[in-house]
Amino acid sequence: MNIHVVAIVVSVAIFLFVIELVRRRRLTFKYAIGWLLVSAGAIFFAVFYRLLFACAAFLGFELPSNFIFFALFCVFITLSLLLTVFLCQQNNRNDVMAQKIALLEFELKELKKKLKVE
Amino acid sequence: MSPADKKILVIVPAFNECGNIGRTVQEIRHTIQGVDILVINDGSKDTTAQEAIQAGGMVVSLPFNLGIGAAVQTGFQYAQRHQYDIAVQIDGDGQHDASFLDKIVGPIRADEADMVVGSRFLEKTGGFQSSFSRRMGIGFFVHLINVLTGVKIKDPTSGFRAYNKKMIALFSEYYPHDFPEPEAIVLAQQAGARIVELPVIMRPREAGSSSIRYFKTVYYMTKVTLAILLYMIRQQRGES
Repeated sequence: MNIHVVAIVVSVAIFLFVIELVRRRRLTFKYAIGWLLVSAGAIFFAVFYRLLFACAAFLGFELPSNFIFFALFCVFITLSLLLTVFLCQQNNRNDVMAQKIALLEFELKELKKKLKVE
Repeated sequence: MSPADKKILVIVPAFNECGNIGRTVQEIRHTIQGVDILVINDGSKDTTAQEAIQAGGMVVSLPFNLGIGAAVQTGFQYAQRHQYDIAVQIDGDGQHDASFLDKIVGPIRADEADMVVGSRFLEKTGGFQSSFSRRMGIGFFVHLINVLTGVKIKDPTSGFRAYNKKMIALFSEYYPHDFPEPEAIVLAQQAGARIVELPVIMRPREAGSSSIRYFKTVYYMTKVTLAILLYMIRQQRGES
């Protein structure tokens, strides 16, 4: 089997899998968009691989495979950084909510106590 | 309103402090009258909350452990909501001697300071002075804060502090989450606070263990140093 066919099949599979995840509401579009763009790019270069080779040569990579690894590496670093930012935001929101809940729970208890006394 | 009848909230962060917390709350109640004591139970797995309630404190229980900074901030938020004039932070592990409470509130009452730090190292008062390696670390922060902000605080890791309304408003909005004490000094200075340090005597812990263990020390030092440097960058960018 031709390596290009394998590359196309794999990238199309990932693309469809992400779309399926969105359809099943396991992933919201906001978080799927990054993966969709990356897999669409992968499909594009798997089909027009000569363009990929030209890009690699233009940028000075000796082997197109090195260029592919480098590009993937950059993509994953960016995605994981974005995920860390998101995680951090969630963590902060979680803390704020825990503080609010604790304070509200305390005030509710105090209120109930007051009501009982009256 | 005379300075004597200012509304004071004593914030006591506590994480698994059964055996210490009851005594701490009672000590505060016996030494200073007319203050509200708010214990922030930071997701303790033991009987901290019950013990604190029995001793006569108000207890706010966080649903899970958020760390000392977020716990203390919860106290500031309560103080802000209920319009306290003064907030005092005192550790729940019994290391801080409540008999100094009145003293560290003094400069706030007299409106001579926005923030008061109770210090072990200001005078040769004796008492608990921490281990040699801990003192080395504290010394590093003393110099870091002094060089970067010009503020001279001899005990920047002390969690025995008093704040006025201005500081309560500031810290209920934002307060550093882990290892907050040295950072809080820098934040206060950047907000233009008048910071005063007063000598207090501290005691070694009687039950339980400190939340800062040896393996955490390196992380602690790095995190606080980086955080302080980042505050400085942020402030410079804000000014330009």
